[in-house]
Amino acid sequence: MKNSLIIAQGKAFSKLSKKINLGNGTTWPGHIALKLNASFIKEVLLHNPDLKIIYVIGTNGKTTTTSLIRHILEKSGKRVIQNISGANMLNGIASTILLNSSFSKKIAADYLLFEIDESSFPLACKEVKPDIIVALNLFRDQLDRYGEVNSIAIGWHKALSTLPGSTQLILNADDPQIAYLGKKSKLDELYFGVNEKSIKKSGIDHSSDSTFCPNCGEKLSYSKTFYSHLGIWECSNCQLVHPTHTMTAASHYPLTGLYNKYNTHAGVLTCQYLGIPKEEIDAALKTFSPSFGRQEKLSIEGKDVQIILAKNPAGFDQALLTVLDQNATDILIALNDNAADGTDISWIWDVDFEVLMGEKVSLTLSGTRATELALRLKYAGINSFEVETNIHQALAKAVKSTHSSLFILPTYTAMLEVRKVLTGKKIL
Amino acid sequence: MIKNITIAWLYPELMSTYGDHGNILALQRRLEWRDIETKIIPISAGDSSDLLKKADLIFMGGAQDRQQTIVSRDFMLGKAEVLKEKVEDNTPGLYICGAYQFLGKYYKEADGTIIEGLNILDIYTENPGVNSSRLIGNLAFKATFSSDESIIIGFENHGGRTYLGKDVAPLGKVMRGFGNNGRDGTEGAIYKNTFCSYSHGPILPKNPILTDHILSLSLEKKYGEKIELKRLDDTIENNARDLIASRLNIGV
Repeated sequence: MKNSLIIAQGKAFSKLSKKINLGNGTTWPGHIALKLNASFIKEVLLHNPDLKIIYVIGTNGKTTTTSLIRHILEKSGKRVIQNISGANMLNGIASTILLNSSFSKKIAADYLLFEIDESSFPLACKEVKPDIIVALNLFRDQLDRYGEVNSIAIGWHKALSTLPGSTQLILNADDPQIAYLGKKSKLDELYFGVNEKSIKKSGIDHSSDSTFCPNCGEKLSYSKTFYSHLGIWECSNCQLVHPTHTMTAASHYPLTGLYNKYNTHAGVLTCQYLGIPKEEIDAALKTFSPSFGRQEKLSIEGKDVQIILAKNPAGFDQALLTVLDQNATDILIALNDNAADGTDISWIWDVDFEVLMGEKVSLTLSGTRATELALRLKYAGINSFEVETNIHQALAKAVKSTHSSLFILPTYTAMLEVRKVLTGKKIL
Repeated sequence: MIKNITIAWLYPELMSTYGDHGNILALQRRLEWRDIETKIIPISAGDSSDLLKKADLIFMGGAQDRQQTIVSRDFMLGKAEVLKEKVEDNTPGLYICGAYQFLGKYYKEADGTIIEGLNILDIYTENPGVNSSRLIGNLAFKATFSSDESIIIGFENHGGRTYLGKDVAPLGKVMRGFGNNGRDGTEGAIYKNTFCSYSHGPILPKNPILTDHILSLSLEKKYGEKIELKRLDDTIENNARDLIASRLNIGV
């Protein structure tokens, strides 16, 4: 079938499915398009040679970084199209392209910005060659779904080796696995990092994954550690070292927490590379507001409520430190084990809940696995908490008893539930 | 006299995945709550094998493939021999997933490559090939060591299928999930005071019966007499277990 016909049909299908509320209407047109023509994506892109394609990959910070890049580019007058996420990444990409194409296969945009799943990245590269790849970090996340960190890294290396030499990499210098992507590939790279004091943790950091040399397997030595395995590292065995020219500062940080410094630097460096003037970047940073559930602030029944998505050990540790930095008095943690959260929740044992010891916070535990959270906290030496599995009930209670502000740390599907309750009708 | 237990934690950085830290916490806390002093000795690659000799209890967790290569190299520098002596000498230990496979005769990878094991237990593991799926999900099994066949709850995620030889007994009979190989209904292994399981979760916090059993054996071995463990309030542990048990449609 002709691609213009596929586009016409897909658009009609999308309209119809929205109208009759079929759900999933967003990725279905892509699914059908690829079934009718497996080369649909490639062929449409051939008609749009000036379109720049940006991939954002990494375990944590994809959504925030993608939104930030989009915000800066749009403030600078560029036209940006962002991908529709879906269970099947390629369907999402195909749908995004289809729904934004005219019947003459022209896409009215300067940039296609794609947030890509760790495991889908190799396949996505095969289908669509990106002009820029922004790689943020690689942490343990949903081992039951994505597999182990090393096998993901191997897949990424292979994918990079197939890309044309014009591809630009924007990489986190402080993550050895990510920096090594640049060192090993023939592509051009730019690095970002942070310039912070070293953070000493007592004992072993249980969420630290990649403290072994990605090149030779020896233990890396760190002159500075920031969090998890991020820091200023070097290998004394094979002389692999932390990249020297690293971008480590921005004029303004729209979100709190060290992890968001990395996201900000990644976004700013990408836009600098794209030639956006400094004044425009600086101005855009000041008007950026977070995506839903990422340090999103709401006012509920006169109380301040902040939602910080926390879905794996590295992210969770950062979320806990961020709320404690803001002198949190009330925290609600919601742990779900639905497919989108990962059904294996043993990762909560790698979260440093011990930082809550001695803090005067009132804790509410919720979600489908609230009882496991209670167990985790008991063994962290924390005995004072409320358990309310039902998220709606837990929110009602927590908001009511909160003195000033409530911090909510939910896993992915718990975050969706929390937002639904909080942005819906009266909750109490 | 205040009693004490020394726990050797083998390769805490290399062989630690899926929340293995929780197992150490469970051992440590349940000793502390009974006023028994606890010392944890982390043993990393390059450390002296003498450290292992001091252990009253040994723990080793799972790992990723690359890490296992480093550990394998280090084991051959003396620790393998000491570990074998400790196991044969009835030193209690818990070995999860990758560590469990390590103790066996060999591991056959998906592409047919054979990796030699430490040859301490009469078991072997084979990955049936790239086209066979990993065994993943919540797991429940009846513990063979307890007289009333208590149910152990965990979470498994492994590609290798393990088969037991005649010298080892299973740790449990699978009720829900796959266990050792998804075929013969066995889960884990027991040899002398060595306990092996595919169960992450982690296994110990949610299953005080197993934790306390291993602790009792360690105290008995160290002090040469049966030592009654003080009963603890396990309401929170049981709540976490009951939730999974009821989802799996079994009573605990």
